Amino acid sequence: MATDTHDAPGGARAETTTETTTDQRDGEDEDAGPYTRWVQRSIREPGRVYRAMFVVVTIFFLVTTLFPLYWLGVLALTEQGKMTDVGLVPNGFNPAVFVEVFETVPFHWYMFNSIVIGLVTTAIVLVFASLAGYVFGRMEFPGRTPLMLVVLAISYFPPVAFLLPLFRLFTGNVALTFPGTDVAITSPMLFNTPGALVLPYSALFMPLSIFILTTFYAQIPDGLERASRVEGTTRLGALYRVIVPLSAPGLATAGVLTFISVYNEFFFGFLMTDGQPDHWAPIVWGIFRFQGQYADLYNYMAAASLIGIVPVAVLVVVAQERIVSGLTAGALKE
Amino acid sequence: MGDVNLEHITKRYGDVTAVDDVSIDIEDGEFVTLVGPSGCGKSTTLETIAGLTTPTEGEVHIAGRDVTDLPPKDRQISMVFQNIALFPHMDVYDNISYGLRLRDFEEDEVDRRVDDAAEIVQMEGMLDRMPDELSGGQRQRVAIGRAIVREPEVFLMDEPLANLDAALRVHMRTELQRLHRELDTTIVYVTHDQEEAMTMSNRLAIMNEGRVQQFAEPLECYGQPANEFVAGFIGSPSMNMYDATITGDGLETSFFEIPFDPERFGLSAGREVTFGIRPEDVALSDSNQELGDPTEPIVAETDVVEPIGDEVFVYLLLAERSDHGRTLSEGDDELLLSTPPDRALTEWEEERSVRIRFDRRNVHLFDAESGESILHDLGEPEQAEADDPGPEPEPRDGAVGRERDATTEQR
Repeated sequence: MATDTHDAPGGARAETTTETTTDQRDGEDEDAGPYTRWVQRSIREPGRVYRAMFVVVTIFFLVTTLFPLYWLGVLALTEQGKMTDVGLVPNGFNPAVFVEVFETVPFHWYMFNSIVIGLVTTAIVLVFASLAGYVFGRMEFPGRTPLMLVVLAISYFPPVAFLLPLFRLFTGNVALTFPGTDVAITSPMLFNTPGALVLPYSALFMPLSIFILTTFYAQIPDGLERASRVEGTTRLGALYRVIVPLSAPGLATAGVLTFISVYNEFFFGFLMTDGQPDHWAPIVWGIFRFQGQYADLYNYMAAASLIGIVPVAVLVVVAQERIVSGLTAGALKE
Repeated sequence: MGDVNLEHITKRYGDVTAVDDVSIDIEDGEFVTLVGPSGCGKSTTLETIAGLTTPTEGEVHIAGRDVTDLPPKDRQISMVFQNIALFPHMDVYDNISYGLRLRDFEEDEVDRRVDDAAEIVQMEGMLDRMPDELSGGQRQRVAIGRAIVREPEVFLMDEPLANLDAALRVHMRTELQRLHRELDTTIVYVTHDQEEAMTMSNRLAIMNEGRVQQFAEPLECYGQPANEFVAGFIGSPSMNMYDATITGDGLETSFFEIPFDPERFGLSAGREVTFGIRPEDVALSDSNQELGDPTEPIVAETDVVEPIGDEVFVYLLLAERSDHGRTLSEGDDELLLSTPPDRALTEWEEERSVRIRFDRRNVHLFDAESGESILHDLGEPEQAEADDPGPEPEPRDGAVGRERDATTEQR
């Protein structure tokens, strides 16, 4: 019955262990080493393996996500002159960098721009995605599923595909001439305005919110909407007074995800402004301002990056419960 | 004036016709029930009145106004839903006052009306509760409070009692009738429960397959069903029905013959009809149960005896047994008889041969093909004068009353 598999440390066990192992569970090789016994116990009790795998995967995940943050901290605290041979601990301790960041460059202004653009985009997305979600979630009409797929497909397009036409459009290079007249309409100069960012962001991040809100709005019982309509609202009134309040977790999820996506966005944020804070340049420009012609201020860039994370980190911590319940609620109910 | 007129309402969903040319005139203050099996179009008809569904054809008038194209909020109606549909994020006060607040009523007026409504539905002192803190019956009462607080012209109720347990349902039924008496407002009520419909309404609209089969007072639907469907749907237990053929001197079925003069009713020999008789219009010939105009005795065999308390149901088999070789599947030779309780009866064993009589006065004949009713009384006129005054026999109502009490108890 007992397998005679000994691994190196266990093989040298003397027979003195017999007494201590007599009260161990059946089927365990008394002469086996610790590894073998662990395997034998795990076969009887598979839960041990799952726990071990959970720990391993969690540690791996934490290291890969948190170590870059730690590394940023190390870089930020290291003084500019000691930037060579940086190890796991900072070469020196220079917390003043977190203040100097704002003195060197109007970094707060860039943050303000990013937050405002994020909030405006989120507001626009929630309003329009609510209407679309209501239609997709609560109404029967021919072509509903294909239309939903088209909306979702747009969100899979790479943003670069939109960049050139949008850039030309937003820099006033697209003109529409009415045939037979001299009247021409030139596209508005949106470059260096929030419009150049808010418009493409709203379009790009809308499909995800539409999808989230569709699943939420579809779950609100029909009777509630009917009751509201009989009591004295229009369909829109019922959406605003009954369906939206009852879908608050979904709305929070869609809103937070949209805000984070916009706040983190690099591509349009980098290309749709010239980088001046009064031209609504977002945080990415604020960080790049420390990259000069003659020197790259890595400690400032690291500090700015850490500061830039703070608003989103706060938002996620505050809204975490809502987001988790929001993301899973759609999956649990049908 | 809360009268409701439906004029040739038709609602089609693609190829399916849910409501087919329904015309009903409901008078002010009337309690009208739309009743029928599921899928008969009764709820769609109600939604058409509410404005939640736009009819494909036809017009809806409420209080003399054409409201066909008006949204629900402008129709002067309120509605109680099957799933109650209280707003879960609002407390009782907010739920009841929802419609008033939307219409910008003064705060004092809102408070006064909510208090009145809460008193009527006996929810005083619970105005700050949330819906999930209430029991099923309380929620239903709040929903009714929300419906009455706006003082609409018409109440629409879509199976409001369907989700309540049996005891509460009977209780709420009484409360709804009390409410109707107090408010004196038109109520259009939808249910699939014929008993609920019979007990509560002034008039019934019995629907099947999108059409109104009969629109009349409950006792008329019971006593003079317009067609075979109504006859089978109204009344519990259901009417016994058999295929029959008119002969030169009466009618015959596979199991029995009833002699009468077909010409007196304009029936020609050879016509296929359906013969219907309600269980309480069948009597054991040796019992002392009185029938208006009994037929000759018919031989049958008892199958099952069910004592209900104030009544006994006897299931009989009409077919002559070929040496006890009856299979269970054929049910068309069954006849149900209900009779006042009798101790001797309950001690009967199965398969006892008995003789039964039908009451000619309450025989219903329907056209076999169309199902339309032909007559509701096979009684001989001269005999009728001997037994009852008038050609429309009054004892009918007494019999119906007894039957209704019985079915209520039976639930």
